[in-house]
Amino acid sequence: MQRVWWLIGWRNLGRNRRRSIIAAAALAFGYFSVVILVGWTKGLVAEMIGNGTGVLTGQLQVHADNYQPDKSVYATIGGRDGADIAALSAVMTSDPDVSAASPRVYGGGLVSSGSATAAGLFLGVDPDREVDVSLILNVIVEGRAPSLGANEILLGSEMARTVRVVPGDEVVIVAPAIDGSLGNDLFIVSGIFKTGLVDLDRTMAVFPIDALQFLMAMDANRVHEVAATVPDPWRAAAAADRLTDALAAGEVAVDVESWITLRPEMVEYATLTESFQWILLVIVFGVAIFGVANVMLMATFERRREFAVMLALGTRPSGILASVVAESLGLAVLGLVGGIVVTFPIMVWFHLAPPDMGWLFGDFTMQGALMRPVLRVEYPWTMTWQAALALLITAVAAALYPAIRAGRVPPADTLSGR
Amino acid sequence: MTASWRALPRLALRNVRRQARRSLLTGAAMALGVALLAFSRALGDGAHEDWIEAGVRMGSGHIAIQSPGYHASKNLDDRLSFEALAYANRALERSDVAERVVAVATRLEVQALAQGPTAAIPVMVTGVDPDVEREFSRLGRQVEDGRYLERGDRLHAYVGARLAERLELRVGSRLVLTAQGADGDIAGQFVRVAGIFRSGLPEADAGIVQIPLWTAREWLGVGESATTLAVLLESGWIVSEMVNTVRETIGTRDDLRALSWQEAMPELEAGIKVDDWGDYVFHVVLFGIIALAIVNTVLMSVLYRTREFGVLRALGLTQVQTASVVVTEGVILTAVSGLLGLAVGVAFTWIFFRNGLDFSAFMESDFTFSGVVLDTVIIPVFRWRMVAMSLGTIAVIGVFASLYPAYRATQIDIAEAMKFEA
Amino acid sequence: MRPTAFVTAALLCVPAFLHAQTAAEIVDRVDQLLRGQSSEASVRMEVVTEHWSRSIDMHLWSLGTDYSLIRIDAPPKDAGTATLKAQTELWNYLPRVDRTIKLPASLMGASWMGSHFTNDDLVKESRIIDDYDIEITFDGERDGNEVWEFTLTPKPETAVVWGKIVEQVRKRDMMPEWVRYYDDLGEVSRSMVFSEFQVMGCRMVPARMVVTPADKPTESTTIIYRTITFDIGLEPSFFSLRNLRSQRD
Repeated sequence: MQRVWWLIGWRNLGRNRRRSIIAAAALAFGYFSVVILVGWTKGLVAEMIGNGTGVLTGQLQVHADNYQPDKSVYATIGGRDGADIAALSAVMTSDPDVSAASPRVYGGGLVSSGSATAAGLFLGVDPDREVDVSLILNVIVEGRAPSLGANEILLGSEMARTVRVVPGDEVVIVAPAIDGSLGNDLFIVSGIFKTGLVDLDRTMAVFPIDALQFLMAMDANRVHEVAATVPDPWRAAAAADRLTDALAAGEVAVDVESWITLRPEMVEYATLTESFQWILLVIVFGVAIFGVANVMLMATFERRREFAVMLALGTRPSGILASVVAESLGLAVLGLVGGIVVTFPIMVWFHLAPPDMGWLFGDFTMQGALMRPVLRVEYPWTMTWQAALALLITAVAAALYPAIRAGRVPPADTLSGR
Repeated sequence: MTASWRALPRLALRNVRRQARRSLLTGAAMALGVALLAFSRALGDGAHEDWIEAGVRMGSGHIAIQSPGYHASKNLDDRLSFEALAYANRALERSDVAERVVAVATRLEVQALAQGPTAAIPVMVTGVDPDVEREFSRLGRQVEDGRYLERGDRLHAYVGARLAERLELRVGSRLVLTAQGADGDIAGQFVRVAGIFRSGLPEADAGIVQIPLWTAREWLGVGESATTLAVLLESGWIVSEMVNTVRETIGTRDDLRALSWQEAMPELEAGIKVDDWGDYVFHVVLFGIIALAIVNTVLMSVLYRTREFGVLRALGLTQVQTASVVVTEGVILTAVSGLLGLAVGVAFTWIFFRNGLDFSAFMESDFTFSGVVLDTVIIPVFRWRMVAMSLGTIAVIGVFASLYPAYRATQIDIAEAMKFEA
Repeated sequence: MRPTAFVTAALLCVPAFLHAQTAAEIVDRVDQLLRGQSSEASVRMEVVTEHWSRSIDMHLWSLGTDYSLIRIDAPPKDAGTATLKAQTELWNYLPRVDRTIKLPASLMGASWMGSHFTNDDLVKESRIIDDYDIEITFDGERDGNEVWEFTLTPKPETAVVWGKIVEQVRKRDMMPEWVRYYDDLGEVSRSMVFSEFQVMGCRMVPARMVVTPADKPTESTTIIYRTITFDIGLEPSFFSLRNLRSQRD
């Protein structure tokens, strides 16, 4: 296409600035809406995955190969002899996508205070490490996390209510140990957590890992699980594959699982929202096409005399077509620039300081994950260029019909007045 | 002057016609937008109603009448006495309430242990009146094997499929339920599995056992009492009104408390609001773009006719009348295309999706949202609210998109306009 | 009243008649063998599981079907731990923390002290003959012994998990040889084998019984009676929370 057609197209945008600005604004608004809406959806999915995996699961877990599906308390990593957990954790955190790893011990038993007794699921953690892996130590509503080396326990809010204790109170813990004895001891309630997921808040009790191992007569090198954080959840599957290879060389047989296999329903939901993003893109720009086509139709109608002159002077219809498409593309570029200028700062703002919708709705759950009423935008980088492309395609598509009409202006009739 | 007022619509209509292609394009955008609105609202309302309905039916109805402490404690100690139950039932029989009530389910719920020969699993046992519950709770229709409970049943149980798998139960299997009764003693109850259900909600399928109400009462030694009176109304739209009426009636009693489903299941309400909010944002975006297109069309038609408006003003049309011509033009354009879009949207939805839009191709497993399994087939619902919303949107866009062009038209300088050559 | 004491070779004991009994009477007698009106026993329990094995020495007191008290003497780690059953309630005393805990209903299905008995097995208070219909399904010679085989079918409304129980009793001295517990589908769920029949506390009793869960044939719980005395005149007041805590012996 010759430069001159670009110049003519561009100049024509200036012929009716107001109209061009409104049309460009519509495109900019379309771009802004698609990018921000998709950003919100991504934020929602990210929150669902983040909370769904972050409350307890972690994005990656290493177990003994015989741990799933029965989750037997005897199926510790490395079996009866245990394993070098520190070395295992080190291998895990050495993966570039893994930021933290936390060994865990699971058990079950009774939490009792006075005449009230509840059955619970026991989780033993190293508080300093666990805090980087799951949310459970970050949702303490009263008191503090239990400390290593102390007979302290962190209870879920519903369980604390059932057994009627507050931080500082003493509870009796009874847990069948792995040597067949009945482990029992007094623990001080160090704090109370509340995840908002009623099941967890009702059944979960968190111990310092050493205290729970002692209670259950387990050696310090026996754990059930090492859970790890992968800050970008979508890289967890690849990290799991790498770790499977890295750990296959070791002497203990382990399974590495990412949240993608642990929580398949979340992956499905994420895939579903992605297909909705495309629908959104098509609808928004599909509607915008009419607006742009209208403007181009007007613009070519105004210039029909000009086209007639050009054709009469020997310009080929393709040249006119090019100038009209160029005009439309100019409109698109204007809209795109405007859209980007408006969208990106707002995107960053909604990412860093998301609007709180707490006044409108409270917490809710999705696929078993607790969601806060916050509209955080997750940067939709792919969509930023996809929407830009869609915008340009929209402009070209919208210009085609007016452009073809313009190229077919009958010179004689038009110049003679009608 | 009255004559010229009457001429305004004709003037406006003529202009719409004169620029037929332009009007057609803008109108098409509008029509498409309204059609999309009608389509997505019909499906959205359908999904929400199904969702709320599933939620309240699985849960404690549109209105739950319980003892004040029960919602928090879920403890048998906080149950409704026979007398309180009778009082609450009388409150529901008030004519203004009774005519809106579809079903009232008396339920006795207790945490219990379900024991088979090889395993024992904690469950929630609900004593139900089979005749009422069959209509009330959707579980009754989700029979996988066997049958739902019936009126004459006594030692029968209706259990979730996952529970059945874990306890190796099939229809006819023995099952022992153990719980702490009203007197604090641990009591066992023998039942046989009459039916197995699969709802898709993991918590329900692994943890719910329904038995006849009378069996539960006898087992737990609670006489004629119950834990919840669940009320299903004819529509979700009248819940707050009915809750208030019920509260007025029971207001003086401190052993009764009426909860709306929003209070009993706040996360369900939040989930629906989130979804609604997403819809609204989408519609705002859609109509924002359409509005801009309409502004442009009407504005252009004003600017093209600078001379014409100049003449009209010179002939004595006031500024208000000039503006009215423009607004009328915008409103006619949006109204015609909008109504067309509404008709197309409704017709399209009705013709292609009246039996439901099937999402199941996208989802292998069930999709749960705030404790409810969403049906993967969405049946659209046509509500007057949707029609009113569409009409409102059409009117608002028609008027607002014309305001700026109308303002421009009034600002035309008569003398300058006469020189204008379109 | 309970059936009178059983015929034994011990001279001090009161003889009883072995004939003219119905199936129900025989099964009931076997059921009550190790109980008596009241009893005190010294018992060793050996538990073998896939993951560990251990033996526990304990003392056991019982009064009818309503009350029992079990106190662990060894190993030292568990010594002093006690379980009290009073009617339908089950309490555990934990000496290490000096607390008693009432077991919630949700733990009735859990294992008692790691054995293949559940808490619920301990709490069951009714007699077998109250819960089951009993018929003789075999009467003749097996492995050189004249035996009866009884099949116990739960009465229609009884809260028991078993589909049926089959029990073999030898005619010679009315000693039980084995009991098999079946699920609904007619598969064996767990079995109990009796042996070392000897006279203790004026009764012929099986001093050893082995419980094996059918789904884990390598696991077992063995109970060995070292001493047992019957009808020692215990009162319900003996089975109190105070007594549960007190460190007697």
